[in-house]
Amino acid sequence: MPRGRWKRWVKPMRSIEAVRLLLLLLGCALVNGQSAPAPNPPAGYAGSEACAICHEDIAKAFASTPHNTVDTNKKRGWEGRACEACHGAAQKHTESASAEDVRNPGKLAATATDKICMSCHLNEPTHIGRLQSSHMKDQVACTTCHKVHADGGKGLVVRGAAAINSLCAGCHTNAWAQFQKPFHHKLPEGAMSCVDCHNPHGSIRPRSTNAFAANEPGCFSCHGDKRGPFTFEHAPVRFESCSTCHEPHGSANPRMLAQQEVRFVCLTCHANLPTVKTGALGVVPPSFHDLRSPRFQNCTVCHQKIHGSHVDRNLLK
Amino acid sequence: MKPLNTFLLGIAFLLPMAAQQPAAAPAPREEKKDAKADAKPDAKPDAKVDVKSPAAPAPESPVPSSESWLTGSIDLGYRWNTGVGGSMDTYRSIINLGSGPKLLGADFTIADPQHRFFDQIHVRAYGWGGEPYSTFHLDAKKAKLYDFRADYRDIAYFNVLPSYADPLLSRGIVLDEQSFDTRRRFTSFALDLLPGGRIIPYFAFDRDSNSGRGATTFVSDSNEYPVPNTLRDSTNLYRGGVRLEFRRFHATLEEGGTTFKDDQRVFQTSGINFGNTTSTISGQRLDLTNLLAAYGIRGNSTYTKALFTASPTSWLDFYGQFLYSEPQTDVHFQQTDAGNLFLQSQFVFYTSQQYLLSSSAKLPHTSASAGAEIRPMRRVRIIESWLTDRLHNSSGAGSTQILAGSGTSQQLTALLASTLATNYNQNEIDLYFDATSKLMLRGGYRYVWGDGNQTILPAAELSSSVQGNFSRNVGLGGLTFRPSQKISLTAEAEAAAGDGAYFRTSLYNYQKVRAQARYQATNSLSLSGDFSVLTNQNPLAGTKYDFSSYQESLSLVWAPGGGKSWDFQGSYSRYDLKSDISYLVPQDLTQQVDHYRERAHTVTGLFDLNAPHIWGRAPKFTAGGSFFISSGSRPTNYFQPLARLSVPINKHVSWFSEWRYYGYGEALYLYEGFRSHLVTTGLRFMR
Repeated sequence: MPRGRWKRWVKPMRSIEAVRLLLLLLGCALVNGQSAPAPNPPAGYAGSEACAICHEDIAKAFASTPHNTVDTNKKRGWEGRACEACHGAAQKHTESASAEDVRNPGKLAATATDKICMSCHLNEPTHIGRLQSSHMKDQVACTTCHKVHADGGKGLVVRGAAAINSLCAGCHTNAWAQFQKPFHHKLPEGAMSCVDCHNPHGSIRPRSTNAFAANEPGCFSCHGDKRGPFTFEHAPVRFESCSTCHEPHGSANPRMLAQQEVRFVCLTCHANLPTVKTGALGVVPPSFHDLRSPRFQNCTVCHQKIHGSHVDRNLLK
Repeated sequence: MKPLNTFLLGIAFLLPMAAQQPAAAPAPREEKKDAKADAKPDAKPDAKVDVKSPAAPAPESPVPSSESWLTGSIDLGYRWNTGVGGSMDTYRSIINLGSGPKLLGADFTIADPQHRFFDQIHVRAYGWGGEPYSTFHLDAKKAKLYDFRADYRDIAYFNVLPSYADPLLSRGIVLDEQSFDTRRRFTSFALDLLPGGRIIPYFAFDRDSNSGRGATTFVSDSNEYPVPNTLRDSTNLYRGGVRLEFRRFHATLEEGGTTFKDDQRVFQTSGINFGNTTSTISGQRLDLTNLLAAYGIRGNSTYTKALFTASPTSWLDFYGQFLYSEPQTDVHFQQTDAGNLFLQSQFVFYTSQQYLLSSSAKLPHTSASAGAEIRPMRRVRIIESWLTDRLHNSSGAGSTQILAGSGTSQQLTALLASTLATNYNQNEIDLYFDATSKLMLRGGYRYVWGDGNQTILPAAELSSSVQGNFSRNVGLGGLTFRPSQKISLTAEAEAAAGDGAYFRTSLYNYQKVRAQARYQATNSLSLSGDFSVLTNQNPLAGTKYDFSSYQESLSLVWAPGGGKSWDFQGSYSRYDLKSDISYLVPQDLTQQVDHYRERAHTVTGLFDLNAPHIWGRAPKFTAGGSFFISSGSRPTNYFQPLARLSVPINKHVSWFSEWRYYGYGEALYLYEGFRSHLVTTGLRFMR
């Protein structure tokens, strides 16, 4: 193309480019005007926007999770740097793009992972029983159950009975096997989940079981008719709770009992002579209880209010 | 409760319909993201490739969330029960699934892009349409404003098992004298205000109710009569409080209360009921011709909860809680019965009885715990904790009994007082030592002690005052070993020496060991094992309790190629329980030994096959189930195989069909076995 002709074409193109550039700048100014500019991150930090360039999917999902408040709330001290609140300063990582240059809490020792989580979550009611929980004692890190980024952010808190049960059964395979017995709480059916009875963060009650009305066994949340107080209590219910007689996860015995027949559940405790002090509670039944007769082979046929009675001292009605 | 069911179902269907309004404006998030992308035009294109390389952990890979305002699925279908072979009552006691059209499941999320009244609403509903377990759950939240949760469950509670309580079986009568056919319903609402803030008020309401009918016994001296009953009870729980969450400390203050009522009735309106015994007294056979017994039980309680955590320095954390509840009940019981009845204590026959009783009980219950975590060195943590739990029941009852016989009448009155108290205390100290970054060791000591007593006055023929106490010294140990990301091992052990126990079967001298191991053999294969053992001995004379239980499980997840073609997950568990304890036979006080044995094997498995495309469809086939078999004191087998086929019809609809088999059998109670086939087919609508 002749030189003069080229200039003739370039000049109008330059003016078109200039107009486009102006429009672009104007657009950027308008966009910036709509959202407050993110504060400049401190030295060593890259800022969440830099993370989002490569981890677009994670950033998009993260925006819909509760953790997003870390990015937007000034008071928490991590405004615009939510990613680095857990992953540490990531400027070096953004330059090298190497996974070695950024912290992955999911791969740290449990103590170190928990330390990161607890820097925000320690002082919450959820963790009131943390120090006594078996999860803490066995160094089960928060991220074992709370997958911060998994499943588009939904893995942060697993919801739904089936999903919760599946998560717990992943480690507690022994417990899950007990639910395959014929008489069980309805977890495999999806009517209940493990957290209906257990608080995975720990509780004041044994085996991290939930409490009802502050400090009563969580069993009463559903079995309110067994709560009492009864005029005539059955001591094991109060002294050692329901698991004295029942297998709470599941059993091959009806009513999830610990033995195949009711009489053996009762007689293993009710075997002390009233005249002999053994230190254990439970007195042998009077002699008219002839175990050879079918009438006396299930104690609860007569002692039907076995969990406690409002009416009868012998728990007969 | 029918209207509530309809209301909840209505919500489940109307929510997605209501949300089908087109979004008025694009999500602000998108604008922001675009702006960010524009602002960084010189970002390294290679970085994206590198960071998403295998260095990133596979499970953390998120599923890109679609920008749709509605996401989720609804499963609608029809189930056929081909019939139950064997015991229908046992089938209903264990399975209870029936035929008919069903809303099998719904799980969807509605997002409001403009964040007007809510940010997101999650709805889950399962098992509607005459199902034994129907659930509905709703979460609605708006950032910094509210977090609302509603939960409803309707659970069929059916239990008729003659082997459990049938004294008449030898006479050819199959009947469970302690059976019921009820529904338990649970409703729960919880509202947190200003979530994410420093001061968070919250309110909640829970209701648990039970209603239905059943069979029970009316116990009269020298005989007991199986009779029908109606059951109706409910508990309401109201609570509210405030959470104060600050960087260095947190406090929660909560006040709550419950109301309870129980209106059980036991009745017989016609016919002659000869009861469980055919024997005669003085030549007369006992019978019951009329009965009405009504329980009027009303209860209420208040409780106070105070929780506290603090981390005043970097090396010290505190926690403490104080819990107090005081439930109480008032009872008015009345009973009228007629027939040829007998009062053993006075050796008199009577033809009718009126029995009235009023009673009340109060159970103050105080619990408290406190503890601290001290980190004196980088690798050492010391955790000290203390716990106390004490409840004291005091109650009293007054009764009037009027007996009428052949021209005579007799009135008996009685006053009874009852108390029960138990105090439990625990003190524990644990030391955690991070030997290396891969190995943590811990050791500790726990001291547990308590006392309990129960008294009923005036004394009767049984021991009317009992008391017990116990103490245990428990040694604790454990380790966590994670030599690499692919292997982890956790083990813990307890050994205790007891001094006293409340009951003969209580923990006394016990040893407990538990170990779990996980091994990620390859990217597609992971194995895990779970082992636990508990042994407990009570050596006291006359008890000789020897208990042991062993349970081992092995599970694997195998998903070659990320499960694109097929995957399998399965587990095997073995359980071995032995319990030997001596007891006294009531009729002659001879000493015998109760041997309870249970050896159980459980297998679960699920195989998923993603079949190749056929006519543009990619069907998915699933097969597996659960298999349980046990031997010992109550040999039982329980099989639940299943097979499922799912075929996508288009992007939003798939067809599924499922077959399940339930088989149950008991070697000692053959009449309680059953088997049943269930076939379900339906459509899944997705968005």
